Amino acid sequence: MENILLQTEKLSKTFSSGGVLQHVLKNIDLKLYKGDFTVIMGASGAGKSTLLYALSGMDTPSLGTISFRNETISGFSPDELAVFRRKHCGFVFQQIYLIDGMSVMDNVLSAGLLVSKNKKELVKTAKELLSAVGIGEEAWNKFPTQLSGGEAQRVGIVRALINSPEILFADEPTGMLNSKTGLDVLDTLTDFNAKGQSVVMVTHDMRSARRGNRILYLKDGVILGECNLGIYKHGDRERHEKLSAFLTEMGW
Amino acid sequence: MRKTFLLARSDFRRAKGQTLTLFVLIFLAALMLNLWLVLSFDYRQNFDRYHDRLNAEHAVFVIYGNSTEMDRFLTDTLEADKETKEYSLDESIFEAGGFDYRGSELRSAFIFMDRQTALSRPVGKVEIVESGTEKSGIYMPMYFKTEDIAIGKDIEITIGSQTVTYPICGFFNSIMAGSNNCGMIELVLTKDRYDELKEAGFTQSTLCSVRIENKEQSEHYEAAINKAVSEKYPDACAASNSYLLVSTSRYISQIICSGIMCAMACFILLIAFVVTASNITNYIQDNMKNIGALKAAGYTSRELVFSFLFRFLGITVVAVVCGIGISYVCFPYVNTLMVEQTGIPYQVKFLPHLAFFALFVICGAVAAAVWLSSWKLKNIEPVTALRQGIHTHSFKRNFVPLEKTKLPFQFALALKTTCEGIRDNIIVCITMFVLSLIVVFSGMMIRNVIMDMTQFIYLVVGEMADSLVYVSADAEQDFLQEMQADERVEKVYLFHTMQVTHGDGALLTVNITDDFSVINNQNIACSGRCPEYENEIALAAKYAKEQQLGIGNEITIAANGKKETYVITGLVQNSNNMGKDCLLTRAGYERMGKLQEMGYSMNLKAGTDIDAFNAGIKSRFGEHVIQMVNMHAQIESTSTVYVTLIKMIVAAVSILSIIIIVFVLHLLVKTLLGKKKQDYGILKALGFTTGQLMVQTAFSFMPAVILSTIASITICCFIINPLIAWFLRDLGIVKCTFTVPVPFIAAAAAALVLFAFASACLMSYKIKKIVPRTMLARE
Repeated sequence: MENILLQTEKLSKTFSSGGVLQHVLKNIDLKLYKGDFTVIMGASGAGKSTLLYALSGMDTPSLGTISFRNETISGFSPDELAVFRRKHCGFVFQQIYLIDGMSVMDNVLSAGLLVSKNKKELVKTAKELLSAVGIGEEAWNKFPTQLSGGEAQRVGIVRALINSPEILFADEPTGMLNSKTGLDVLDTLTDFNAKGQSVVMVTHDMRSARRGNRILYLKDGVILGECNLGIYKHGDRERHEKLSAFLTEMGW
Repeated sequence: MRKTFLLARSDFRRAKGQTLTLFVLIFLAALMLNLWLVLSFDYRQNFDRYHDRLNAEHAVFVIYGNSTEMDRFLTDTLEADKETKEYSLDESIFEAGGFDYRGSELRSAFIFMDRQTALSRPVGKVEIVESGTEKSGIYMPMYFKTEDIAIGKDIEITIGSQTVTYPICGFFNSIMAGSNNCGMIELVLTKDRYDELKEAGFTQSTLCSVRIENKEQSEHYEAAINKAVSEKYPDACAASNSYLLVSTSRYISQIICSGIMCAMACFILLIAFVVTASNITNYIQDNMKNIGALKAAGYTSRELVFSFLFRFLGITVVAVVCGIGISYVCFPYVNTLMVEQTGIPYQVKFLPHLAFFALFVICGAVAAAVWLSSWKLKNIEPVTALRQGIHTHSFKRNFVPLEKTKLPFQFALALKTTCEGIRDNIIVCITMFVLSLIVVFSGMMIRNVIMDMTQFIYLVVGEMADSLVYVSADAEQDFLQEMQADERVEKVYLFHTMQVTHGDGALLTVNITDDFSVINNQNIACSGRCPEYENEIALAAKYAKEQQLGIGNEITIAANGKKETYVITGLVQNSNNMGKDCLLTRAGYERMGKLQEMGYSMNLKAGTDIDAFNAGIKSRFGEHVIQMVNMHAQIESTSTVYVTLIKMIVAAVSILSIIIIVFVLHLLVKTLLGKKKQDYGILKALGFTTGQLMVQTAFSFMPAVILSTIASITICCFIINPLIAWFLRDLGIVKCTFTVPVPFIAAAAAALVLFAFASACLMSYKIKKIVPRTMLARE
């Protein structure tokens, strides 16, 4: 029980579009554990991103509750949710979403200084993290438009990790990247997970999903199935087959 | 053309907020511009229209005496001058006097005329505009119509040393002597009342009204006739006036008001120009991809520029039409106030030529802004635009690196936004400069006109004390001894006003005193110094400039038939004499003849009842006292209109400032939110609260607001006096010495900055609507 980070009970989300109600998430009961690399998969329109936004406090559920370490966050106001996100969550987006007007270092520090008052320590951490993901000192003062897609996404990961969040949410982090840079980003996430960082990732890419130790399959707003792959090992053939079989079973 | 129009319509629908801001700015500019145009180009001409309709005079002379011999002399003199067109010579009674006007006593020189004569004069006739049923009484100039001075009521008038009460029969318009800023006031009596005055032994005089060929020569003509009369009858010239002097003096408030409106219209138009240009530049930057797509689809740069022109000129035309319309709704209120000052009725009517001129100027300014700012569209290739105008090099600078800055985090982020928006900062700076000028102007007017009028009075009349008593020369010593012994009198000094002539007969008002170091207005000389010795003179700056004279030059003036030469030691100014005055010491004046009477100014101890004090002097010295003036009451009665006008102007410009700042900030904040919507979404996703982002946004405008306000206020504090002097240059003012209330202005500027911050905060409240999820779902 101590290992549960996030828990949902009967989580539902309904959108209204042109007077038509769409039940995107339906009574989802879910527990996310500390240290896990949880992957949410599913076809387009299954509700993966909606679930991620709801879990991360970027959106509020229509019904049901979400608890973080036994504290219910689903009733929080938008500002309380913002404080929750800055303290406990990190985000990596498909479109990367670095702020164009800020340098690499400023993008990272803009998230860090929201939480930490110790700027010296924070700058040191930022430099270590940037170096760790392969962003050299020569790039720290560059602007996002001067970086490659892979570099920019790795800066995005550093920004997400600067406050040592308890949980890192990644929404299709390799979706905008080519094969090589996508792989670099996945390696980065895997490395951090190996060091104990909890990760929740949405993807519809099997190569990305393979990095997770827990795969959730979402279909029509409900979790249709779950598969545990165990700790990731590079070139683990059996893991790939297990995931393929699970997805085939789910109708992928 | 149709597709250009459709494009303009689509852009218009997308940018409703920006359209509204631009609409408001152009509306205000049109409102101000049309008011200014009407005041400057038609309202002033109203004087000429009235002048011509009443066949009013271009020069008017009041000459003591009324005899056949004098009439013959005047007729010969007038007919000998080739400028004379037509004239009237009529009997009148000329006396100094006073009556209660707006709660205090108004003193002036009165010309009493019999009703029949006044109405039937070929030149300078009056026009009765209101009359009651009273058969015997007085007709007053329309200018003085108040609640107390109304048909059916009685008016008590002091004439010389007597007080007479007349029922008010009606009101009339007189162009050259119908207000208290003409130097003489015409009062029309019914035949029986006029005969009563004549029988009472009041001084009979001849009222000579002349129309001349070229009204621009009226001052020269006045001087020439005065000179001719003075040579034949040295003491006969009682008073005179010219068309140029009266047309200016009756329109002082119009000059002030139209000057302010002109300045406001120009400033608002400048803001609208910059806002339009910035709007288009932002649009091009934000819609580069769409522009690329349109160009790729076959739109030419010219068609895109025309779509901007359609959109902005469409807004401009509607806003200008509304602004002009509302200006005609406002004008009756302005007119009421102006008529109180001019005393000449003005019929408000639509003036299409001025409306078209305003439309042309504003549309021209907006079209120029559109044309200049959309010029770069021509050089954008469709492919470059489709790639968001991508450049191979980035010249961006990281102005506030978070790693190194010592600034607080939120402020540092705000400063980054500030540094990114140079165009926005320029708009803020221009707006704050305009508002700072308004703050300084308003502060100065409140301090110098509404709170303490001393400086204003000095500018208008030159010198001001509590009481002014004219005594005859034989009683001077007794009077002085008694005043010096009176414990109510703080200071008594000679300050006598006379007239002298210069050159061809130009009349100059001369202020005479024993020692200029004891008068109250120690700034009476705006350059150089006041005369100290009998061969020295200080001359009006405007007149000195016209005559190409300066400090150190000599001037020969004449009085009492004697000419003397003086060295100019300084330049003086006051608007009362329209820049035609000078200062002499008593010894200096008496080189041309002894003073027959002396005006003594007195400062009285606080709390002294000035009227009772004057009455005491009168009872003590009897007929030796020629005239007494309660200067405070006199000034109060004449200044009410100015105070009301200034209050109205200050209130109007303050409201205008609030509207301008609110709408400009609304536009800037809206543009910023539009541009940074995604950034705000990202920051919210990272954990920034709405409040933090609102403050950050508002702070991002503050460096430009604060710095430009400080700089503008400082500059405006230095330029405001020269600026006002420039506006009032026609009135003979060359140097303004109004007190600049720095603490008040600083407080108002601080309030302005706080208001700007609060407004920006409130307008940033829309950030609340930006939710991170929407941002993420945007792609």
